Amino acid sequence: MAGKFKHMGSLQIDEAYLAGLGDADFAPANQEEKANFIADRKSISYWADAWRRLRKNVVAMVALVVLIFIGLFAFVGPAIVPYGYDEFNAGAENLHPWHYTLEDQARLAEATQSVSPEEAVAKAQEEAAAQGKTLTSIEIAKIRAQANVSNQVTDEDGNVLSGDELNAYMRAQLGIKARPGGYSVGELERMANGEKVFPHLFGTDRNGRDYMARVMMGTRISMIVGVAAALLVLIIGAVYGSISGYCGGKVDVVMQRIVEIIYSIPEVLVILLISMVMNDTLKEYVNLNRGNPIAQLINLLGSNLIGMFIAFGMLYWVTMSRIIRGQIIQLKEQEYVTAARALGASGGRIIRRHLLPNCMGQIVVTTCLQIPSAIFLESFLSFLGVGVSAPLPSLGSMASDALNGLNTYPYRLFFPAIILSVMILSFNLFGDGLRDALDPRLKK
Amino acid sequence: MDLNKDVQNTGGEQVQPVPGQKLLEVQDLHVSFFTPAGEVKAVGGISYELNYGEVMGIVGESGSGKSVEAYSIIGLLQSPGKVVGGSITFEGQDVLAFSKSEMSSFRGSKVAMIFQNPMTCLNPVYTIGNQLMEALRAHDKSISKEEAAKRAMEMLELVGINNVQKRMKQYPHEFSGGMRQRVMIAMGLICHPKLLIADEPTTALDVTIQAQILELMKDLQKKTHMGIIFITHNLGVVAEICDKVSVMYAGKMVEQGKVDDIFYHPGHPYTLGLLRSMPRVDAEEHERLIPIEGTPVDMLNPPEGCPFAPRCESCMKICLQKMPPYVELGEGHRSACWLRVQEQLKNQKKEGEHNG
Amino acid sequence: MAKYVVKRVLMALLTVLVVACITFFLMNAIPGNPWLSDKTPSPQVLENLNRKYGLDQPVHIQLVKYLGNLSRLDLGVSIKMQKNYPVINIIKEMFPVSAKIGGFALLWAILVGVPLGCVAAYNRGNAVDSVLRVICTVGISLPSFVVAALLSFLFCGGLPNMKIFPTMFDGTWQSYILPCFALGFYPMCYISRQSRAAMLDAINQEYIKTARAKGLRTGKVIFKHALRNALIPVITYLGPQVAFTLSGGFVVEKVFNIPGLGRYFVQSIQNRDYPVIMGTTIFLATFIVMMNLVVDLLYKVVDPRINLTKGGK
Repeated sequence: MAGKFKHMGSLQIDEAYLAGLGDADFAPANQEEKANFIADRKSISYWADAWRRLRKNVVAMVALVVLIFIGLFAFVGPAIVPYGYDEFNAGAENLHPWHYTLEDQARLAEATQSVSPEEAVAKAQEEAAAQGKTLTSIEIAKIRAQANVSNQVTDEDGNVLSGDELNAYMRAQLGIKARPGGYSVGELERMANGEKVFPHLFGTDRNGRDYMARVMMGTRISMIVGVAAALLVLIIGAVYGSISGYCGGKVDVVMQRIVEIIYSIPEVLVILLISMVMNDTLKEYVNLNRGNPIAQLINLLGSNLIGMFIAFGMLYWVTMSRIIRGQIIQLKEQEYVTAARALGASGGRIIRRHLLPNCMGQIVVTTCLQIPSAIFLESFLSFLGVGVSAPLPSLGSMASDALNGLNTYPYRLFFPAIILSVMILSFNLFGDGLRDALDPRLKK
Repeated sequence: MDLNKDVQNTGGEQVQPVPGQKLLEVQDLHVSFFTPAGEVKAVGGISYELNYGEVMGIVGESGSGKSVEAYSIIGLLQSPGKVVGGSITFEGQDVLAFSKSEMSSFRGSKVAMIFQNPMTCLNPVYTIGNQLMEALRAHDKSISKEEAAKRAMEMLELVGINNVQKRMKQYPHEFSGGMRQRVMIAMGLICHPKLLIADEPTTALDVTIQAQILELMKDLQKKTHMGIIFITHNLGVVAEICDKVSVMYAGKMVEQGKVDDIFYHPGHPYTLGLLRSMPRVDAEEHERLIPIEGTPVDMLNPPEGCPFAPRCESCMKICLQKMPPYVELGEGHRSACWLRVQEQLKNQKKEGEHNG
Repeated sequence: MAKYVVKRVLMALLTVLVVACITFFLMNAIPGNPWLSDKTPSPQVLENLNRKYGLDQPVHIQLVKYLGNLSRLDLGVSIKMQKNYPVINIIKEMFPVSAKIGGFALLWAILVGVPLGCVAAYNRGNAVDSVLRVICTVGISLPSFVVAALLSFLFCGGLPNMKIFPTMFDGTWQSYILPCFALGFYPMCYISRQSRAAMLDAINQEYIKTARAKGLRTGKVIFKHALRNALIPVITYLGPQVAFTLSGGFVVEKVFNIPGLGRYFVQSIQNRDYPVIMGTTIFLATFIVMMNLVVDLLYKVVDPRINLTKGGK
């Protein structure tokens, strides 16, 4: 009889177990028991879930930390460094980010101090006169040649050295080591007198401006431009996109034609033009309206920056508006929107309360990825000389300036380039992480 | 066209399929997905046999492991899916022991598969002819282009496509859904496989087209004596085409049997639920459809006991503690439910009293 | 097909017209005039200059006149940088250099980027993928002037014994290498990322399952079925990339002192040489718009689904 129970794979039946079952086991189970049976998984809200996934993403979190550090560098840094970004430090021109102590400098000067042949001859003649002799022209020539040879410094390969190479060689010979932080001779002397002087950690430029202060300010401008431009793009794109998507029909057709044309306009060309034109126009405006608060504001921000924002606002919202329009059209078909409309909710309210919250994820990601591209563009324009203008520093224009004398002062390129690249990289990585966290399709 | 003649032509060593002989045997198959959140036991120990010329339906809700089970036969499990236990034997060969290259020559030639959505299953950038001939030439390198084209056209005609000369040069988007499914079937059958796995082949189609495709499959199956595994959640389709049915729930096979047994003497409350939720033309006027309440269990941490218990109206205390064993209800008809175990035990007792 | 092409060409012409108008009005919006930097000429001289270059007429007449000339490919003459030299000649002389560098840069970017993306997608999740991902993410975070300046530093004394490529452009083939590398690095990384994503997407499509179910070998599945589909989105990206490479060219030409149109364009902006600015802008815009058109038509070759007569999928 037991053969009636089929032995099939893992569903092994224990005959004894079956025999031991009583009526109690076959009693109906109540609702509570059934409910306890399922091990519930906690339901988490969309944002909590996204945050949990973002936190797990090591790369994105490292990027966030780096961004925070760069932010501190740009916004808190200038308060710590006692030099202004546009402050000329007399006597501290072209400093390297390192220095030699005064004693070392003296030693070096002594070691490389040369005796000119004429002096040697004069000295020899004096000595000879004291002994009552006169030097023959052959002897004079010999002394001259000797002096020349002893003045020449040759390295191990027999190359004759002079200038910077000679200094570097002699420093190595004397065991003089560079110390971090750039100080001018004047500053070193003040330090010797017990004064405290903040070092020029990144050196100074050819006008004696502290390079670190300038890099900090440039970073600050880049970040502000990036975030502000992204917000500008967000606002214009969101408004345009949601109107276009929500209204549909003819409005949509016309609005999308406009988008299409703007889309196919080569942005960089026009941005170059716009930022140039805006710059000139705003400067003119400021000159004509001195004392006007708007003019003062423009003056404060720098006309170039404003020109750049206007250029951004005019051209870069297209992608954002397309994304939002797509989302809105997709969401518009959803039933809860139909329901809201049936209940008599107004168009604006439907957009605000129902549609926007639902495409929030995509908007956040797109905005975040807009920041690095704005920084990219700002540095690009500044590099070409049509972006942020003097005296305001920009990482792009600093890199551009560093091209002259790149071999002597390579770090003038490195400092802004590294900060710029790390900043863009971190924004990109963080944006990627955010997208992974917010995109439910990638839910693991 | 006589397909059997064709079968003999394709290769000397091919065994003529005999209806009633064992073609495929699946024993206690376990498939798991190793996700970051943990192991998901998509298939937890199922067994069945399939003979030549037999059509077996696998029925169940989405997520019950039907497709996963089929994919593991044909070696198409995507990582992180993995067969973790059991065996699959095809014509006496251990399929799970196949090497990569053995597996790819096995696929397509011995076993073919057609998928649910004909709209996305054909590569949009190649012509129908190209994709058909490719299937043929993957397994027979010696066949000439002309010969392959000829075979492909014959195959298209066989599945009821007209104007094949022109159709061969067209792209998938120029075909309707039903036509594409016909192409998929032609592509599956072009190498004369012994087993066809159809993963919800009619779900994405219109009802009228569905009937045509089913008719076509029945027709072809009679001609070729191949075995068919028909995965679906539509019991109407099952009644139409299948000889026997396996009902799956949460990765477990809860009931198995001949079509008639399943339809007229369902042995598991889930099967009963499925039947009751199916609209019937011949139903009494006021009969209502009864849906199965609740949702399937979380496969990430499946409970001890019967997975259907929380949704079962006749759930018992024992159901929540242990998975029931299979009870033989008739020839080839078995079910895993404590209700049946209880009946069986009672019968045993009675018989014991009677005998003693 | 023909109808679609005509429609697209008309649309392209409209875009060029819009760009021409925007440029024209922008130029006119600039306060002051181009002669200001010459040590303040007398009013009489100024008037003569304005009359000579037609700057004394109302704006709309100037525009109509300009567009009329434009239709005859007459872009006017330079008023400052190369006085009275036709702008069209400047473009003819300068553009080939820029086009060569841009073309080679894009070429290597595609030839390296697409295979790298495929390799990464095929190895997804393992070390090869991670390394390629890091390189490409860093690559798209480096502005082209950083790459260019860095290369120029490294190969101009920054690295010992590495003065193998000239860092100052002299027209020899060696002098093309660094600029092309610098210009193509960003698009290479971007294309690689793009093709990785496209390839992953293609691999997960159902028709790949079909192809595998047919019993095709992995190589054939990847190269025949996945790659062709993965290329479609990559081609989509090429249109805008042409524009981007061109603008990146401005920077690279500046760093390597290449006498190309990009560098000249930037100089003309700094010098306020209106006809040169407008001529160059309109020329480059036309070029980019035409490239977009070419890329759109390229779709048809790769993706049979795109029905050009209906103008979309």
